[in-house]
Amino acid sequence: MLGKLMGAVAALALFVGSASAADYPEQDIQGIIQWGAGGSTDLVMRSVAPHAEKVLGRSIVMINKTGGVGAIATQFVASQPSDGYTLLMSAENPQLYKVMGLSNLDYADFYPVNVLARGVPVLVANNDAPFNTIKELVEYVQANPGKVKMGSTGPGGLPSVVGGMLSTQLDFKVTAVPFDGDGPALTAMQGGAVDFMPAVLGAAAEHVKAGRIKILGVFDLEASPVLPDAKPIVADYPEFKKLLPWGPFFGVFVKRDTPDEIKAKLVEAFKTGAEAPEFQKLLDDRGYVSLNISGDEADAFLKKWQSTTAWVVYDAGIAKKSPEEFGIAKP
Amino acid sequence: MMDALSYLFASWLQPELLALTAVGTAAGIYIGAIPGLSVTMAVSILISFTFGWEVNHALALMNGIFMGGVYGGSRTAILLNIPGAPAAIATALDGYPMARKGEAGNAIGLSTVMSFFGGFVGIIVLAAGAPVVSEFAILFQPRDYMLLAVMGILLVGSLSGESLAKGIFAGALGMLLGTVGLDPMTAEQRFTFGSVELMNGISAVALMIGLFGVSEALLQLHNLHLAAVKQKVDKIIPSFSDLKKYLPLSLQTSAIGVIIGALPGTGGDIAALMAYDHAKRVTKDPEVPFGQGAKEGLVAPESANNAAVGGAYIPMLTLGIPGDAVTAVIIGALFIHGLNPGPLLLIEKPDMFWFTVGNLTLANIFLLIFGLTGIRIFTKIIECPKGVLFPLILLLSVVGAYSINNSLSDVWWMLGFGVLGYFMKLYGYQVGPVVLGIILSRLMDDNWRRAIISEQESLPAFFYGMITSPLSAVLFLAIVLILLSQTPVWKAIKMHASPRLGRG
Repeated sequence: MLGKLMGAVAALALFVGSASAADYPEQDIQGIIQWGAGGSTDLVMRSVAPHAEKVLGRSIVMINKTGGVGAIATQFVASQPSDGYTLLMSAENPQLYKVMGLSNLDYADFYPVNVLARGVPVLVANNDAPFNTIKELVEYVQANPGKVKMGSTGPGGLPSVVGGMLSTQLDFKVTAVPFDGDGPALTAMQGGAVDFMPAVLGAAAEHVKAGRIKILGVFDLEASPVLPDAKPIVADYPEFKKLLPWGPFFGVFVKRDTPDEIKAKLVEAFKTGAEAPEFQKLLDDRGYVSLNISGDEADAFLKKWQSTTAWVVYDAGIAKKSPEEFGIAKP
Repeated sequence: MMDALSYLFASWLQPELLALTAVGTAAGIYIGAIPGLSVTMAVSILISFTFGWEVNHALALMNGIFMGGVYGGSRTAILLNIPGAPAAIATALDGYPMARKGEAGNAIGLSTVMSFFGGFVGIIVLAAGAPVVSEFAILFQPRDYMLLAVMGILLVGSLSGESLAKGIFAGALGMLLGTVGLDPMTAEQRFTFGSVELMNGISAVALMIGLFGVSEALLQLHNLHLAAVKQKVDKIIPSFSDLKKYLPLSLQTSAIGVIIGALPGTGGDIAALMAYDHAKRVTKDPEVPFGQGAKEGLVAPESANNAAVGGAYIPMLTLGIPGDAVTAVIIGALFIHGLNPGPLLLIEKPDMFWFTVGNLTLANIFLLIFGLTGIRIFTKIIECPKGVLFPLILLLSVVGAYSINNSLSDVWWMLGFGVLGYFMKLYGYQVGPVVLGIILSRLMDDNWRRAIISEQESLPAFFYGMITSPLSAVLFLAIVLILLSQTPVWKAIKMHASPRLGRG
């Protein structure tokens, strides 16, 4: 009797469970953005979400939960039930939490609903700087080690990783001056507080076009259609081929153990959202490379990104812990 | 030119734009008045909301909210001693004492007119001198921001009330609290004890709500037997002679507001505090002492924080660089609407510039209208029985603290600081310096380290740069002068120079 009852309860639970997954979404969905209002992650998420909402038929209520390089938002989403009602809208940062000693979470704990796009790093400089290309910059830095000031955004940020790649591949010793983000650093560069900085193309493009700063080159395999005259770094330094393409990225995630049906619905919604022409135009304008990948393909991308970057920051002396401790393979 | 004019008045002539600006300004006043609900938050929510709209419609709403929101913070500061936003802290210092004397109507009226006036100065500077001001703002180096922060720290002298020693203690406590969290330079954890919640530091807004609002509610429990002060509502619109009297001060502090607002690293909060300090220094003999309801103490911060709005748009519209957190979000909105805000915006889309100037002017006029109507009802708030008022203040404080970052831990912090603030006030410590400390802590910490890293950690090179850069030299001299003018040395010199005057 008891056994039968248990069986019935279990069946009922299963039924209820599957019913809720099939009816998903029955209520509004929360999107936790790990960076502040007006930043590039915020911007990308707020422009893709309205398109995904149309497919889901429910609102995605977006909340900025900042702090701890995004670790607070990541931790928060991990603490919520795995029911697909809390999305993590984030950037590349969690892939470095472990080696930076910020958190025990990374994207192995989350399922990639969509890795939307990748940014292209460029090297830009103050107009008065005595170098005009990446090659001239490298030669100048080698002649004046430690004298050149590089704008940075703190350890783990794009400038520090690109700086780390430069210093592990070439003899490249500069003084990194950290700012609160690439916007403030680019501003400070225009005022002469730093001489050059690695930045994401989208943040720098308008200033370059207006002639307020100059572009030294693109930190990628190919030139970018946004600024076609800037040479890619591999033209002069082919040794960077093994590290590239590399760049910051944006993605939407749910907890790894969310039911498959829900995952599928979210993947479908964000795939459609990412294909929207308005969203694609926004990416083009800002110089982002559209990825629009999910599931295994996205997992492979995330894993490769983590292995390249974690080892670069470790070798450059920025990381606190060795990637080896966490089983992150050497690229 | 005709084109520019037509864009200037676009939002005045199109009924929908007119209506959206009005709605935005009215909503902004209430959003600004509720602590924890910030203009930044409201504008970023509007980005998704106005996604499908025409860009001018979205901008009209956002401009209105920005204008109204910066002003709205003064409402709760005056009525309940809870600044709606950090930019209204200085307003509470003299506004709340006025309300307790039954002059809340007068205080709100004066702050509304002065906000309007300051806002107007900001817009005029935006329209007439945007390119010049933005080129100037960009010249500020980390070293100069550090000097600005030092200048800000000197405000402790103005905020500490009876005892300077207690003020310095409170200010230092604020600076210490400001260091909690991930070190912005190295991501090293400071005073976090391994807790993820502490990584983001202690929220200055939670601290402010607790120290000002909750502590005041607790303190008032001592006076439960006293009847609420009857508010005079006959003198709401400030008299002409008052306006004439405070006009020079308002102009000076508006200038402070525009410049501080235009600097990409500082906003209305620091502008208002600096303006308050300025007022205290230039006002020889106020009718009522500062801190007890001096009207000068209301005029200065309210002119400055609304002037900072126009200031914040200056680098945004000319260079694509946000002047503060709100303009950073508006830049994001422009991107979503397919525009490329940057240095080329002014050349490629001059209509955007003139539309914004005209629209801000319109919002400023709505601010005056909405600000001056309904004051009578608002002042009734403090007349309501304390058994209703205090639970209301607590509720508002909890909601406000939670909504900063949707985090319950901010609520606990807020309540904790409420109790701390109660004991501080009980023993004659002012809470203003604590908030000042936490606001300036980051500015000072970051920029001092940026400056010294840039000089490859050489102190002689740092001081050499301070003397040789004209901007740094001027700021440094100003600090020395302010410091001297507040110490006995200055009085001795003055006495020596003009013995007859000094004896009085």
